[in-house]
Amino acid sequence: MRQALEVKDLHYRYHDGKEALRGVTFSVPEGECLGVIGPNGAGKSTILLHLNGLLPETFNQPPSVFVMAQPVTADTVYAIHRKVGLLFQDPDDQLFCPTVFEDVAFGPRQYGLSEADVRTRVEESLHRVGLDGFGKRSPHHLSGGEKQRVCLAGVLACRPDILVLDEPTSDLDPRGKRELKSLLRSLTATKVIASHDLELVLELCSRTIVLDEGVIVADGPTVEILANEPLMLAHGLEKPHSLLHLHPHGAQRGDL
Amino acid sequence: MHIPDGFLDGRTAAVSAALSITALGVALNHAKRSMPPQRIPLLGLTASFIFAAQMLNFPVAGGTSGHLIGAVLAAILLGPGGAVIAVTAVLIVQALLFADGGVLALGANVFNMAVTGSVGGYALYRLIGRIAPGPRGRLVAAGFSSWLMTVVMSVLCAGELAWSGTSPWTVTFPAMANVHMLIGLGEGTITMLAVAAVARVRPDLLDDRSGRPAQSYGPLLAYGGIIVLGMVFFVSPFASPWPDGLERVATSLGFEEKALSPPVIQSPIADYRIPGLGSSVAATGLAGAVGALLVFVLSFFLAHLLVRDHRQGSPT
Amino acid sequence: MRHDFIDRYSRLASPIHSIPPSVKLVGALIILLLVVTMPISVPFLHGSLALALLVIAALSRIPPGFLVKRLVYLEPFAIGAALLTLFQTNGLALFAALVLKSTLCLLTMILLANVTPFADILDVLKRWHFPALLVTTLALMYRYLFLLIDQAERMSRARVSRTFVSGRRRSWHLLGTMVGQLGVRSTERAERIYAAMRARGWR
Repeated sequence: MRQALEVKDLHYRYHDGKEALRGVTFSVPEGECLGVIGPNGAGKSTILLHLNGLLPETFNQPPSVFVMAQPVTADTVYAIHRKVGLLFQDPDDQLFCPTVFEDVAFGPRQYGLSEADVRTRVEESLHRVGLDGFGKRSPHHLSGGEKQRVCLAGVLACRPDILVLDEPTSDLDPRGKRELKSLLRSLTATKVIASHDLELVLELCSRTIVLDEGVIVADGPTVEILANEPLMLAHGLEKPHSLLHLHPHGAQRGDL
Repeated sequence: MHIPDGFLDGRTAAVSAALSITALGVALNHAKRSMPPQRIPLLGLTASFIFAAQMLNFPVAGGTSGHLIGAVLAAILLGPGGAVIAVTAVLIVQALLFADGGVLALGANVFNMAVTGSVGGYALYRLIGRIAPGPRGRLVAAGFSSWLMTVVMSVLCAGELAWSGTSPWTVTFPAMANVHMLIGLGEGTITMLAVAAVARVRPDLLDDRSGRPAQSYGPLLAYGGIIVLGMVFFVSPFASPWPDGLERVATSLGFEEKALSPPVIQSPIADYRIPGLGSSVAATGLAGAVGALLVFVLSFFLAHLLVRDHRQGSPT
Repeated sequence: MRHDFIDRYSRLASPIHSIPPSVKLVGALIILLLVVTMPISVPFLHGSLALALLVIAALSRIPPGFLVKRLVYLEPFAIGAALLTLFQTNGLALFAALVLKSTLCLLTMILLANVTPFADILDVLKRWHFPALLVTTLALMYRYLFLLIDQAERMSRARVSRTFVSGRRRSWHLLGTMVGQLGVRSTERAERIYAAMRARGWR
């Protein structure tokens, strides 16, 4: 199986000199959904930005990030943008056009598609996220969940091979979360999801890495990692509720 | 000081529009050539910020309230060219969407606020910053230049209204200038406090944005020329602030009474006479000069309050 | 969001709303020009323009109460500015004429803003070859306007709730700090927006 994403010994320093990532290594096979969890400030968002080549300061070093076997460098970064769709944490940062249609059309237009093709893509993408007919709406009138879905549509319109999502459920109410979860489940692209929502990670991600202070402290099957209470607590997390009651007798015996 | 529609005549609207379009062209050209792409969204966001900041009212004397214009603050954050574009955007949206300021009067409003206010304010800010360097000096520069530009913008406004025949200079100048000397205090104070707040959190945002000196002289000269032209059109016909004083001097020296450039409309109510001070126009001019001195001194005090001596511990 | 009144009625279905946006924009400009340049001495001219505007208002299906409220809110600014005309010969007549003219202009712009979505106006400007940077700035400004106003309001409320001691000095200080914080937040958001634009292929 091909590796959709490979990160090899990634280091990154903030502008103020603080080391954000201190040698991160992991890979994501095609079609897998990887969860990235950890306390605030661990560096999750920073890793995600690297996956889309959005931190050009790292291009001078030997490449540490590979997307579909292609290294992320100054020359390849535009091709990388097309392969990796990144959903930012705050939908308001990403929904920057005056109407929904224009925003979803932004990506396809950048790639030089004809207006007819752009229109098809937009309608397709809005349909996939369940927002048919929203084209003429203004972003500031939408709910948090609707904004999130428009952002997803905008990313899907670019037909990326890999989807990277940064805290996708942080602004959503329970219904919004349910809708997003079922939506994400229906998408077959390779996915990387950074989230505090451990239930989401449990439901969608087969594998999870735990990040703390710029290093990966655990990498394995999601259920194993999330059920490991000492590990969770040691890194500012906790065992998700659904695992606490999964096998009540089994949990007491310490095995799952 | 947004001039509504119907207050300016065709000539004033056309001339100010021509000046504004030229200045905007200079700004856009300069931005296209030398602004890094990551700052393009900043123009739009700063425009929304200025608009939102303008909605915050502050009380001025006697129950009226003033509000921020923000042209100088925009220039401090974006540099002169960026501020011209951002403040123009604010004025366009205000005119089209909020009926705040006339559409036909956009030329004048843009010239007063986006061009003269921003660029003039920026030049003054940099100048004072050079004379009084350091964080305190920067605050003095911010405060004083925003106060002064508020008054200057109002004087331009007064001139445009007089040139259009809407109201005589002897009415508009004292009315606008005096009121804005007060409102300008609010503008100056808020600008100073805002710059101090930004300096605490993101001092890098206050770095010199005008680009390498060689690059920025061209546009600055262009702006300067446009502003001077505007002053010539709108203010200098009335700019003899002490017409009776000059006349008195002329007669006492034995010169023939020369008609100074005739005012656009004959005001049957001549200048209001204020005993001991002569005309209201002259009194306003005097008040302006005294005010400027006072504001300069006041801003030094405020700057001292805001930037405490580091040896004394953490700032406010 | 209280300030979204700007957009509330701009997408209604009415004969006025279906007029192409460029026609509406040009029409509004023509009306403004006519109001401002035509002499008030012939009341027929302004009277018929006023009638035309009222007919447009009626056809547009915008609730009349809303239009009246907007007009009432904006009128004092026009009247206040017009007071300057009183201090000359014929001052009263000039004042009345000016108030009438500016009221008609205000009504025109209120109608335009509420029968044309701003996004459509931007499209028209693009087609008229307005400079791209200016149009982008206008678009971004419009998009984030309400967000910024909301932030300003929230800060304002927080400021009020923390002003236990009513000190004028304190409230000025908070006001200035709020403005500064708003500025920093918008700058940081602009940086994030740039990243999002690049992520979707912008060069």
